[in-house]
Amino acid sequence: MYLIADFREQPKLEAAILALKAAGITADDMDVFSEEPVELRRGILDRPSRMSLVSVLGAIATGGLATVGLYAAQQSYRLVTGGMPIFSFWGTGVISYEATMLGAVLATFGWFLWESGLLRKRDKNIPVPTVLPGVMCLRVRCFDPHVTRARQILDSAGATDIARKEVA
Amino acid sequence: MAASVPELLPYAKIREDLFRPLSSGSSRYWITVFAALAVVVLGMAAWGIQVRDGMGVTGLNRPVFWGFYIVDFVFWIGISHAGTLISAILRLTDAAWRKPVTRAAEAITVFCLMIGGMFPIIHLGRSWLFFWLIPYPNPRMLWPNFRSPLLWDLVAILTYVTGSVIYLYLPLIPDMAQLAEHNVPWRRKLYRILSLGWTGSDREWHALERAMKLMACIILAVAVSVHTVVSWDFAMSIAPMWHSTIFGPYFVSGAIFSGIAALLLVLGILRRALGLELYLTKHHFDNLSKLLLLMSLLWFYFTFAEYQTVWYGNEPSEMAVFASRIRGLYAPYFWIMVVCNFVVPFVLLGIRKLRTISTAMISSVCVIIGMWLERYIIVVPTLGNPRMNTASGVYTATWIEFAITAATFAGMIVLYLLFSKLFPIIAVWEFKPHAVEED
Repeated sequence: MYLIADFREQPKLEAAILALKAAGITADDMDVFSEEPVELRRGILDRPSRMSLVSVLGAIATGGLATVGLYAAQQSYRLVTGGMPIFSFWGTGVISYEATMLGAVLATFGWFLWESGLLRKRDKNIPVPTVLPGVMCLRVRCFDPHVTRARQILDSAGATDIARKEVA
Repeated sequence: MAASVPELLPYAKIREDLFRPLSSGSSRYWITVFAALAVVVLGMAAWGIQVRDGMGVTGLNRPVFWGFYIVDFVFWIGISHAGTLISAILRLTDAAWRKPVTRAAEAITVFCLMIGGMFPIIHLGRSWLFFWLIPYPNPRMLWPNFRSPLLWDLVAILTYVTGSVIYLYLPLIPDMAQLAEHNVPWRRKLYRILSLGWTGSDREWHALERAMKLMACIILAVAVSVHTVVSWDFAMSIAPMWHSTIFGPYFVSGAIFSGIAALLLVLGILRRALGLELYLTKHHFDNLSKLLLLMSLLWFYFTFAEYQTVWYGNEPSEMAVFASRIRGLYAPYFWIMVVCNFVVPFVLLGIRKLRTISTAMISSVCVIIGMWLERYIIVVPTLGNPRMNTASGVYTATWIEFAITAATFAGMIVLYLLFSKLFPIIAVWEFKPHAVEED
């Protein structure tokens, strides 16, 4: 079961989220929908992210792979170089660098798709609120013993409209 | 600076104003598209002739093997720095005035890279063998030369194109989700597919903002490296007036310079054509004009430093190129370049009373012409005056090269016009009434 509450003021939304958390509803059970990003205060509804780490790992992986590939390719056909090194990082460093950056770009994009949930298969039964301009919708997943309490919290926090949606 | 007018407008009006150009099209718009398309077709026909008859139809000949195509390549890759660099810098510094500017800039980047990236293929002659540049295992046991700056170009531009397309696409997602709600069926379908089912949840917004910040950092590093690598196409050879340690920063600053000029020009045209006077205000043009002036001064400094050291060194082969540029065959181009890149912006943008939207546009056109000439002056005189002076020669472009060059400018116009008809040229979700951020 889902409760969807509309808020017009951010402080009221933040108060509602804090009260719901105090009542035992976790951050994972709450989502805020809006037409523009809402900057909630730290500690209200934090969404930890590993995007930077994934980006760095992606960069290291592709940069490393590119360097190994370059080394292997240059060794596969033994040129007579008169004592000069067949593989030189000076000569191929640009390619390694660009491959590193390409890895960072692709890893960031891939992780964005994953973390935002855009690529994951969605349960079509979960209601998605229609957001009006200037309105922030708080969607709360809760089960029977908590529904009345959650509704009271939303009401007292100043929600302008509260809807109850059953999951099929 | 006081809060700009659009911040006082209701959101519904902002949305209507910025989405309206997508559904309405004047006859002037379509005439421009078809006229530009005609030039593109002419350019493609010229390229077809070149593919059929070979590179002999161009003016390229010993010793000048790099002509218009390489000039165009460097020029377009330079212009491409408009978007990503300017947008990324302004995003990272959280400059509030950037909001109506960034998408127009990012689109310039993507289209310029697409156009610029074609030139090495056109220049190959046997264009159908372009895939030989890509390292892949093959029965001939042959690999491309990884030490060649031309291969570095390929990798750098591929990275830059990928990053720029993603950097343009990410902030488009929320706008496309809004567009998917009210539109004609085919557009609804297109926007729904492209917006990937965006709902506007805080998880999505958080991920988007993080991704944009990270992408801005990455794309800055890539953009600087790309034009440095392009400069190394020249600087890594020991040809006179090419073998220079400052070529990297010289090219990067020139690229940003021409990029800002292109952005100013595009914004000026869009402002007029799409009726965006309330959104692209004098404030934006004033700020971009100051950036253009700053880059003009930086360009002049680099140019002076480059020529001064050559003149003082008095090395014969370098002086032959120097003389051909300053007082020889290429002197008219050189001095037009100096006037366009330094004198005009310095006067029109440096004197506060003269700095208007019109003078910013005039300066931008001059800078674009000047920067194209700068690329020409870098490429051709050096090849025409090699170290062995008995091998010197002159290059004259043919109509084939002129047609292909004109087609790329027309192609840019077509791509940009079509983009502005499919996607809002100002990011609507970023352009919301905010109380405190205008300064």
